[in-house]
Amino acid sequence: MTNPTDLQTLNRLTASIENLRDGSHSAHSVVTQIRPTKGLFDLELEGLWPYRELLGVLVKRDIQILYRQAALGIAWAILQPAFTVLIFAIIFGHFAKMPSDGIPYPIFAFAGVLPWTYFAEALRRSSNGLVTEAELVRKVYFPRLLVPIAGIIGPALDFFVGLVILLGLMLIYGISPTWNLLAVVPLLALAGLQALAVGLWLGPINVRFRDIKYTLPFLIQIWMYASPIVYPLSLIPKDWHWLYSLNPMVGVIEGFRWAIAGGTFNAQPLLISVAVGSVLIVGGLVFFKHMERTFADVI
Amino acid sequence: MTKNLAISARGLGKRYRLGSGLSGHDSLRDLIQAGARSIFRQPSKDPKPREEFWALNDVSFDIEKGENVGIIGLNGAGKSTLLKILSRIVTPTTGTARIEGRLGALIEVGTGFHQELTGRENVYLYGAILGMSRREVDSKFDAIVDFSEIADFIDTPVKRYSSGMYVRLAFSVAAHLEPDILLLDEVLAVGDFTFQRKCMDFAHALERRGATILFVSHNMFSIKSMCQRVIYLKKGKVAYDGPTDEGLKLYESDCRLAAAPWFHPEPGMPVVDITDIELLGEDGQRKSVFDFGERMTIRVRYDARDTVVEPDIRIGVNRSDEVHCCTFSSVADGMQIASISKDGMIELVTPPVKLVSDSYRLTISIRERRHGRMIVATLGESFHVRHPVFASNAFGVFNEPAEWKVKNSSLASAPRRSYAAAKDAI
Repeated sequence: MTNPTDLQTLNRLTASIENLRDGSHSAHSVVTQIRPTKGLFDLELEGLWPYRELLGVLVKRDIQILYRQAALGIAWAILQPAFTVLIFAIIFGHFAKMPSDGIPYPIFAFAGVLPWTYFAEALRRSSNGLVTEAELVRKVYFPRLLVPIAGIIGPALDFFVGLVILLGLMLIYGISPTWNLLAVVPLLALAGLQALAVGLWLGPINVRFRDIKYTLPFLIQIWMYASPIVYPLSLIPKDWHWLYSLNPMVGVIEGFRWAIAGGTFNAQPLLISVAVGSVLIVGGLVFFKHMERTFADVI
Repeated sequence: MTKNLAISARGLGKRYRLGSGLSGHDSLRDLIQAGARSIFRQPSKDPKPREEFWALNDVSFDIEKGENVGIIGLNGAGKSTLLKILSRIVTPTTGTARIEGRLGALIEVGTGFHQELTGRENVYLYGAILGMSRREVDSKFDAIVDFSEIADFIDTPVKRYSSGMYVRLAFSVAAHLEPDILLLDEVLAVGDFTFQRKCMDFAHALERRGATILFVSHNMFSIKSMCQRVIYLKKGKVAYDGPTDEGLKLYESDCRLAAAPWFHPEPGMPVVDITDIELLGEDGQRKSVFDFGERMTIRVRYDARDTVVEPDIRIGVNRSDEVHCCTFSSVADGMQIASISKDGMIELVTPPVKLVSDSYRLTISIRERRHGRMIVATLGESFHVRHPVFASNAFGVFNEPAEWKVKNSSLASAPRRSYAAAKDAI
């Protein structure tokens, strides 16, 4: 900068700050308490509310940067599940002749891949988010819970784009959607909460031990094959359904298939999913809040 | 009682663990190995106690609304830790603090900018990170962009910005935050000296609006000009809390003759202590503020417990922002000293000091000419150079008048050489 610009800048800085309205910030005083220890169940969830705009901005940012500088842009939201379904349809549907509860295999696979893709991405982001945002965590205060929460909201966009494609595919196969389809929304929320529940555990561990980052892809892959995505729940012996359903994604995916293609509604896996998810998420919140206090020190 | 308090801190402490213990392991493998080792180890052996380090220890103070308080102390005294606790980035190990009012922390500007996003998108993102609402950013957006002087690039991704543009935009957002309480760390604030000056002006403007300011700086000029009160931290504890002048005196006397933090003596080296440093003006009186162009006399007393053969005595001058300005060397100036032993005194008379107006600090070091190794390095006196025009934000390190020739133009008058005239001209 040359000298005159410099002086001008300084003058303008001073002027513009002094011109700011004075009363705008002191209408009500904010009081902040800083203390070293808190109760185990003092989750300070009410502290999230004033930061709702930041949550929105973080989600928006994630969406904005997702497909930026990718030539195909948002088309990737379609291509990714489409290719996965295509591969599954060829290998498991065509060659392996996997049973699919009477639903055309591509629809069957798509109805599993769609919520799974969402869940996997949400889990990945809520577990890795704190490390990705390390710079923020080290230098700015905000409720750290925003990071995993933002992580489960962003991928919902891809989910809805995929859902439109699935509906198109259903029309091609002559399956008309029913009112069951409305259940997709609460099921999506349930999948998001499952991802958050696990992310609340893995995220803080990841802050301390980066091993999580390398373990996560395997965990997600194993978890996928432990979920009824390429095969139906009916393939599992009935006596073992309860055990199998301890995987909370079983209820979500089965519920999702019912929402898309109908059939008999099986409440058991869904109830187990809600129960397992509730325990995980309450424990996860306590764990996260407990670990949160040292994030900036160790990240 | 707490009606007029902006910040009230009680017994704040922050402990860090060093070395062994859980916190020393950076991957699970280390932890598992350490766990396995501890199983096979004899339990009778004393487990090595973890090394603990209190970055901050039992710090209490009250700051009234509208008060400007400087936080001073050597590096590692806990200044930054204190700001981080107050801005809630780190949690204290002990103690509590109560903060009333909207808090803005200018600890590092631009944290949270995303490279892929445009300037416009980043203004909203950064605004939200600093705690501004969308409506607030909306209403100030034009002012922010205007102030940053990068209106033409506001829709360009910031990854294409120069670092200067980046900092300007980030700072513009921060400058429009209007906090009730400002935590300002001059040391950590990124950017060049110009930018740090901007930070200072920003703080001054807030001050006039009645904001409370907590200001960490090494620049005693800045502290003096802004703060009526200083808190002097020493090894994590409050060593002094009171009027600025007394606090600075205490601090400066503690700062004198501190071993340079980067100097690590090797065993077997001759031991020399720098026992005193005096700064004298042309009239022979001790002083710490010199006028531009004045000659300084630097008097160094030493105690050489071992004889040093052919020493090279160096006196370095560092500006407050740690720019190394110059070093005088006895060898370079052709001074042959056969050896030094026991206690003695060296005097250096500088040429007229043409350094720009700022605060400076001396570093005294002695090298053995033959081995080339340094045997002592001591940070010494601080001094200020005074000039109405030549400041480091616009005039660099030093100023010497040059000869100008102008063609196809008529000179208004003969070139002016006096500094008073230079002041009038600019």
